[in-house]
Amino acid sequence: MSLAAGPGRGGGADTQLPDELALVVEKQVAYIQSLDKRRDELEYHLTEHLRISGVYWGLTALHLLRHPDALPRDGVLDFVFSCLRPNGGFGAAPGHDAHMLYTVSAVQILAMTGGFEELETRFPNGKMRIAKFIADLQQPNGTFAGDEWGETDTRFLYGALNALSLLRLLHSQRTDEPPLINVSAATAYIKACQNFDGGFGVAPGRESHSGQVFTCLAALSIAGELDSYLGEEGKDRLGAWLSERQLPSGGLNGRPEKLVDSCYSWWVGSSLAMIGRFHWIDQKKLTRFILQCQDPEQGGFADRPGDMVDVFHTVFALTGLSFAGYPELDEVDPA
Amino acid sequence: MTRREKRKEVRLTFEKQHGIPRVSATAVDRSEQAKEKERKQIEQYKALERNVSDRVKSKDYSGSTLQATSNLLTQNPEYYTIWNYRRLILQDAVHREVASGHDATGKEQIDEKDIAAAEKAGLTLPQQEISLLVNEDLQFLIPLLKQFPKCYWIWNHRSWLLATATKHLPAKSTVKLWQAELGLVSKMLALDSRNFHGWGYRREVVQELERLSGSSMAEKEFEYTTKMINSNLSNFSAWHYRSQLIPRLLEEREVGSEDRKKMLDTEFELITRALYTDPYDQSLWFYHQYLLSTLDPGNSQSTSLLHPVTNADRAQYLQQELDSIREMLDGAEDCKYIYQALLECSLRYLEVGSGNRSPLENEMKDWLVELKKIDPLRAGRWRDLEAKMKL
Repeated sequence: MSLAAGPGRGGGADTQLPDELALVVEKQVAYIQSLDKRRDELEYHLTEHLRISGVYWGLTALHLLRHPDALPRDGVLDFVFSCLRPNGGFGAAPGHDAHMLYTVSAVQILAMTGGFEELETRFPNGKMRIAKFIADLQQPNGTFAGDEWGETDTRFLYGALNALSLLRLLHSQRTDEPPLINVSAATAYIKACQNFDGGFGVAPGRESHSGQVFTCLAALSIAGELDSYLGEEGKDRLGAWLSERQLPSGGLNGRPEKLVDSCYSWWVGSSLAMIGRFHWIDQKKLTRFILQCQDPEQGGFADRPGDMVDVFHTVFALTGLSFAGYPELDEVDPA
Repeated sequence: MTRREKRKEVRLTFEKQHGIPRVSATAVDRSEQAKEKERKQIEQYKALERNVSDRVKSKDYSGSTLQATSNLLTQNPEYYTIWNYRRLILQDAVHREVASGHDATGKEQIDEKDIAAAEKAGLTLPQQEISLLVNEDLQFLIPLLKQFPKCYWIWNHRSWLLATATKHLPAKSTVKLWQAELGLVSKMLALDSRNFHGWGYRREVVQELERLSGSSMAEKEFEYTTKMINSNLSNFSAWHYRSQLIPRLLEEREVGSEDRKKMLDTEFELITRALYTDPYDQSLWFYHQYLLSTLDPGNSQSTSLLHPVTNADRAQYLQQELDSIREMLDGAEDCKYIYQALLECSLRYLEVGSGNRSPLENEMKDWLVELKKIDPLRAGRWRDLEAKMKL
């Protein structure tokens, strides 16, 4: 699984699922703690290119599970700082090149662990250096590249706005300083990515995709333009498309006529929540589907019942449970 | 749930195209031998990784470093830093070729055959070298792309190679490269007709070919979507692309209002036939929704296909669709999409149509009752719709 940050190898076939499905909190925590202790597995090394995102996903999962201290804070911060590159961006692991995706994960971890002070102590002017790396990736048409090699995608645009907002370096957060990026060009680009069905694609004219719907809505939300741009009509149209992602199994898919996958609990769920239409899908059925993706013996969640678990699906399955109001979980902010 | 829906749900839920089945804990308890084997694999992988990164750090941009990145990327195509290294090596080779073109002193040992081949291709020697370099790398990517069709970095590297060629080679030879890409992406989409990387790359290729040739490919691409739809009606990616091409097509054909109407009618006929084949297919209903959206001045993401268009035109089309979809109910009374479309058309119709509203409003109430019954998953949405309809 390309998106796995650490290998999850669980036991228990889906035939052994208990009748009463329940979240196994302690096992989930243990599963996440075990992720960095699998260095004797080839898969651990083959997934190094997304390690820092894996740490972010694991940490977020632990926060949702109300065990925020289950990973040692010092160890996490040391790792994050070891991924910082001279250009102000972060790579996925020490020695890996800087990229928007991993820079965003690093900033998210620093925000979650309250690590910005340590950043400034160890790397003077660190916040501004990170912000400059991000700002330099904005293109003349408003969108953002992932790195110096130039690939663009609305994922990177959202990442840029999200990270700058966490750094509190958006113009709206410090109006007396000149802006670092052109926010209105960025939101204009997002609007150009919207389709007749209300959804958004990777670039203008491209097919609507739940992942991209999330990134575009969240970017509009951070820029403060979500409500004014969509209006009630726009929210109804997009809400209709999003609610059709739920299939009779209770799970959600990413596009029409595609397979359900537990990670869409986040991409679709948070999008519906941002436009105030989460009640347009069946939350009980969604909860049931997500719990069927859980490995009840070893912890972790898979894309679909009976599949191999990984930390990416684990965090996004948990956010889905949180949206659906599952007890024992903290609430999550959709944007 | 109807049997048909059940079948589809089973197919959608359990067809593990991308999922990796979970293995039981006992199967994971590996023998000492297996552990030893994995330890060796890890050692070899880490050694190769160190080798590549040491070479690149010392700026050894040689052919053997390129080969080492090939070995590593074949094992792990998601390793983005190594793709960056590969581009550094290729970029260096390209720069050396470009520099050699300005510097005649380094040209003593050139093979006569190379000169002849370059001349035949209408290229200078450095251009010929760059062309070979790019072609070899494109070849290297093909098996990787087939094995990992959803890997962003492979598609991304391909784009970079094409952009590099476009920058350094004359348009005539670049066009050939881009045309070959169109063939490749068609093959990729034949293997997985919903791969959104493939569809995105196709648009990139077409855009570049149009720029280089100065002529539109909208007609040909439109034909391509017809072909894709005919081989699989459920392919929303193809329907979506079609929705992007139609407005361009009409502009380029410079047709009058009659032909525009004819186009819209043909598309409605096409989708109606498809819907009769499978009214349970979302992809088809979304394309139907697209056609309706072109008649909706409130949808800013959809341009009108008709010019001019009056409310009378809108009412006429909505009436026509209401009649046609009503007929679809016969034998498919359990199909929720039909009721959704009927309600959608009715709400629009009430905005633009004239005459007595109450017969339609009564029907709408019945349709909503049915919809609530057969689509409990979205009960909240139907409650909100009921409040919005104010019937």
